[in-house]
Amino acid sequence: MPREAEPSLSERTFTLQAISEGLRLDSRKLDQFRPLELSFGDEYGVADVKLGKTRVLAKVSAEVTVPFSDRPFDGIFQITSELGPMVAPSFEVNRPTETEILLARLLEKTIRRSGALDTESLCLIAGQKCWSVRVDLHILSADGNLIDSSCLAVVAALRHFRRPDTSIEGETLTIYTAAEREPVPLSWLHSPFCTTFDFFGEDGEIVLVDTTWLEEQLRVGSVTFSLNKHGEICQISKLGGKPVEATLIIQCAQMALAKSKEFTDLVDARLAEDAKRRDKGGLMAELSAENER
Amino acid sequence: MPLDTSTYSLALLRIDGRRWNDLRRLHAQIHTQDAADGSSYLEMGHTKVMCVVTGPAEPQAGQKKGTVGSAQATGQKEGASIVVNVVVAGFSSVDRKRRGRNDRRIQEMEITIQKALAANLHTHLFPHSTITVSLHVLSQDGSLLAALINATTLAVIDAGIPMTDYITACTAGSTSSYAAGDDAADPLLDLNTQEEQELPYLTVGTLGDSDKVAVLVCESRVQVSRLEGMLVVGVDGCKQVRRLLDGIVKQKGRKMIKEGAVRRSDMMAVSLDD
Repeated sequence: MPREAEPSLSERTFTLQAISEGLRLDSRKLDQFRPLELSFGDEYGVADVKLGKTRVLAKVSAEVTVPFSDRPFDGIFQITSELGPMVAPSFEVNRPTETEILLARLLEKTIRRSGALDTESLCLIAGQKCWSVRVDLHILSADGNLIDSSCLAVVAALRHFRRPDTSIEGETLTIYTAAEREPVPLSWLHSPFCTTFDFFGEDGEIVLVDTTWLEEQLRVGSVTFSLNKHGEICQISKLGGKPVEATLIIQCAQMALAKSKEFTDLVDARLAEDAKRRDKGGLMAELSAENER
Repeated sequence: MPLDTSTYSLALLRIDGRRWNDLRRLHAQIHTQDAADGSSYLEMGHTKVMCVVTGPAEPQAGQKKGTVGSAQATGQKEGASIVVNVVVAGFSSVDRKRRGRNDRRIQEMEITIQKALAANLHTHLFPHSTITVSLHVLSQDGSLLAALINATTLAVIDAGIPMTDYITACTAGSTSSYAAGDDAADPLLDLNTQEEQELPYLTVGTLGDSDKVAVLVCESRVQVSRLEGMLVVGVDGCKQVRRLLDGIVKQKGRKMIKEGAVRRSDMMAVSLDD
């Protein structure tokens, strides 16, 4: 079974020494993110997030199925992620690693359990028909901070997604194509975003955000906060690692809130840009017989 | 089944009659299994867990490194690797559910305990060996992760594996749900299942008598302003738990000296009189 290559001793010493002096290899500040690029695909519900060399693609799809018998009024919503050998040789297909389990669990807690998507609105006919919304997360390249970028990609893709419009008359359910009726967005309640803080140093007193793969290998502990812009914590996970002072955790929570507001603004701005790009002037433009010469 | 916690503000008593900062009855035994290297049994209220520690021992041939739950601490190749298994008994909660081995929630708990131990145990003293921690959940009534962490600490002490200090854990909650934006919400300590279903809560695990947080898991929606209050109460609860666990370890030590299992030496700061 292939193992992840570990940083060499000299690499390790150099990086840690630099961090303890407040320097990072890519000359960022300790609390500075790499430039974040978010773009949407031609289809609805495709979001591509680039954070330095990390690249994540999320694709949303929806189909009509039968709801679970124990939850007749709820639609189905699932997030699947796969870390394949394309990312790093240590990831194998069908054998989830620790990274993958924690990533899937974190996305589930942040987005699904916090009720970001109103699953009741996905119900069409109680107990018989509902929408099944599925997010496929593809990690295309991993250079640290997979969690934050994946969460952003999933949230952005879901907010960008449009499902076909439906109507019910008596017993008949009609699903309209995009040509017949404009597709409708999902009923979205709030947008949580993850921020991961990594601890370095003897007592874990140095805090870094958005660590690269190398820095991630050398950290002594980490904590991930998921918050929305209203200051609601959806999830906190500090799963073991070196113990850090409780006051530092509180400081991190405040930083995470500020970061979450930044992410919200970014996603809102990109969504608005994309909507503008798609908006060709509505029905009047479509019906016009004028040609561009 | 949701519980009506609105009565709390009237009498300041919780559904089981506790005050906000009361722990449930914590009962623990150490060295329950004679054949094991280390073992413990712990009850926090109606949450009952058992822990068996095997090792440090030579890694078994079948045990592959890096598989789920046994992921060794990166960068500690020279030290012992730690494997944690959590088994939740089918009869442990009210509704009998079959949980597969691939339940992500259980796997997350295994990884949490494994990582918390890896940073605390002096694994570098046992190169090329494995420490196996098997946890069995017999009954669930809230604070499951906390109980598992406390039981593990006791069993590791029983196994005689050197560690920095106790890792103790407990849960802390807040009296009003996230929807109500009132600032007058009181923090609560050590929640049971009913309270966990109704209220936002977090599990906090600290190292020894310090304020250092080793484990912090929150899965419910809560205002960020409430975090500080909940964390303070949780850390304080961990200190109470540590005193209780320390008492249990010392009591067992005294008993072992009295029975002659261990020779008394002048180095021991234990008085046998009480």
